[in-house]
Amino acid sequence: MISLQNVKKHYHMGEVLVKALDGVSFEIEKGEFVAIVGPSGSGKSTLMNILGCLDVVTDGVYALNGKKIREYDENDLAEIRNASIGFVFQQFNLLPSFTAIENVMVPLTYARVGRKAREVKAKTLLSSVGLGDRMTHKPTELSGGQQQRVSIARALANDPDIILADEPTGALDSKTGQEVLRLLQSLNRQGKTILIITHDMAIARYARRIIRLKDGLVESDTVNTEVNDDVQ
Amino acid sequence: MFNEYFAIAWRSVTAHKIRALLTTLGVVIGVSSVILLLSLGNSAKAEAEKQIRSIGSNLIYVTVTDPIGVLPSIWLDEIKDAARIAYYSEMVQRPVVYNVNGNDIDVTVSGVNADFDTVSSLTMESGRFLNDLDTRMGLPVAVVGFKIADALYAGDDPIGKTIVINGVPFEIIGEVGERGQSFSGDNDMQIYIPYDFALNLFSSRAIMRSYYLTSITEADVNTTLTKVSAYLEETLPSTSLYRAFSQSQILGIMDTLMSLLTSLLAGIASISLIVGGIGIMNIMLVTVRERTREIGIRKALGAKRSQILLQFLIEAVIITLLGGLIGLGIAFAGAWLISQVSGFTVTIGPETVLLALLFSITIGLIFGIYPANKAGKLEPVEALRYE
Repeated sequence: MISLQNVKKHYHMGEVLVKALDGVSFEIEKGEFVAIVGPSGSGKSTLMNILGCLDVVTDGVYALNGKKIREYDENDLAEIRNASIGFVFQQFNLLPSFTAIENVMVPLTYARVGRKAREVKAKTLLSSVGLGDRMTHKPTELSGGQQQRVSIARALANDPDIILADEPTGALDSKTGQEVLRLLQSLNRQGKTILIITHDMAIARYARRIIRLKDGLVESDTVNTEVNDDVQ
Repeated sequence: MFNEYFAIAWRSVTAHKIRALLTTLGVVIGVSSVILLLSLGNSAKAEAEKQIRSIGSNLIYVTVTDPIGVLPSIWLDEIKDAARIAYYSEMVQRPVVYNVNGNDIDVTVSGVNADFDTVSSLTMESGRFLNDLDTRMGLPVAVVGFKIADALYAGDDPIGKTIVINGVPFEIIGEVGERGQSFSGDNDMQIYIPYDFALNLFSSRAIMRSYYLTSITEADVNTTLTKVSAYLEETLPSTSLYRAFSQSQILGIMDTLMSLLTSLLAGIASISLIVGGIGIMNIMLVTVRERTREIGIRKALGAKRSQILLQFLIEAVIITLLGGLIGLGIAFAGAWLISQVSGFTVTIGPETVLLALLFSITIGLIFGIYPANKAGKLEPVEALRYE
């Protein structure tokens, strides 16, 4: 489903040429739960932006569902992000003046889903992440864990092909962080493709496959035999 | 889809009510002053037109300078039918000052013919106007304006009373109803006496002669004007010795002047609209910067450049439209206040309202497009990184 072939991302920072990604190749199939791990500066944020179609490669090929992303213009990329990618950010990135249900409806609005259908879908999603009784709360009225659940519900709004979670537990305490990871695992069991980007190996261990990144290159790509998963 | 953007924009406007209000203050001031000035101008124009119309729109004025006396005294009778003249009256005027209880009052004494009341649409308050007998015999009778009757006889019926003009006593036979102001001064401060009597009284040699005449119908005004002018041109030694113009010509000139004045004032006031627009642009630029992260989130969730642009453009238009509506309210309040204070009715027409609203929307579009485009152009990665 996701295919990267010798992907490079170079940019200039003043006089210096930064090689954030310098030839990354891997493939991710539908239904996988993958963690991309690396220290800061390893290029994982750049990789996340490219996988999320927020940025385009300098060289190489990134294909999502067989579509070579580099060939699409700004508008097409917006549509691809809307339909195929669900983002979960470290800082949640909810719209502060909108309620939980309104936040979940944002991607549906851009997908031109009708008002009634949007509401029904958003309610279903919020209930499924355990926030059925918090729909009309604004982000400031929710705990960090609850906010991250709202953002997961939002990520699921348009039934995307892949959930991209960038340090999803970074702003949470370990207990709520674990709850969020369990939620992602259960979504994965329902067939969702999940990709977590993190610097923390403990978090990566919730995934079934771990790709280690270092200095813009894939250092290792292994199956995680000891998945942190207490669900039998 | 459009109402979605409207809902989003409305929300962010109402989230910062005071800011939106302050932002749009320039538009409020601009719209209210432009509307008030336009309406004031239009109302003044309408009022003046109404007054002139009340005198009669088939009215024609003729003035002739005839130093060597080549014009026959019955010249208007000669061309009356050909020129489609209905009625006419000669006129000679002199100012007279009366002292009433220590106050000077300025009065105009007009020598006219019996048809003058018809020619200038006079209505009688009481008594009667001069008749043919009065004018032919040169009887010492007078018809007075209602303000004179009030000033001299303070509520008493003036009919039958005697008024002295240049030492000659006149019997008052009639009082004219209220007429209002015109170019020739206060029409209610007039005394009408028989024309020939007036010539003798003022020892005028009738070198400058004025005539008031009416054509049979309003459609005949131009025919009358042409025929009268043609006759005078043929008879008099020079074309500079007469003037003939119709009420509608005066109306036209006044119309042009008033429109010019009105648009000049409104033009000056609209400068504040431009200043207001710059204020909008300034705040919208701040808003876009403030909400960079929101823009980044929206883009990550699938918003296109055009959708972000539209969102901020609509926001700018909502702010200016709000200003326009508030300005409109102030203009209506101002119009009401002016009407109360001066007794002069200022009407704000539906086309003025429409103009004001269109203008506010246009200001929003013009000054909102740059910030909105800036928002739309933001790179999602950069915008998401913005703290």
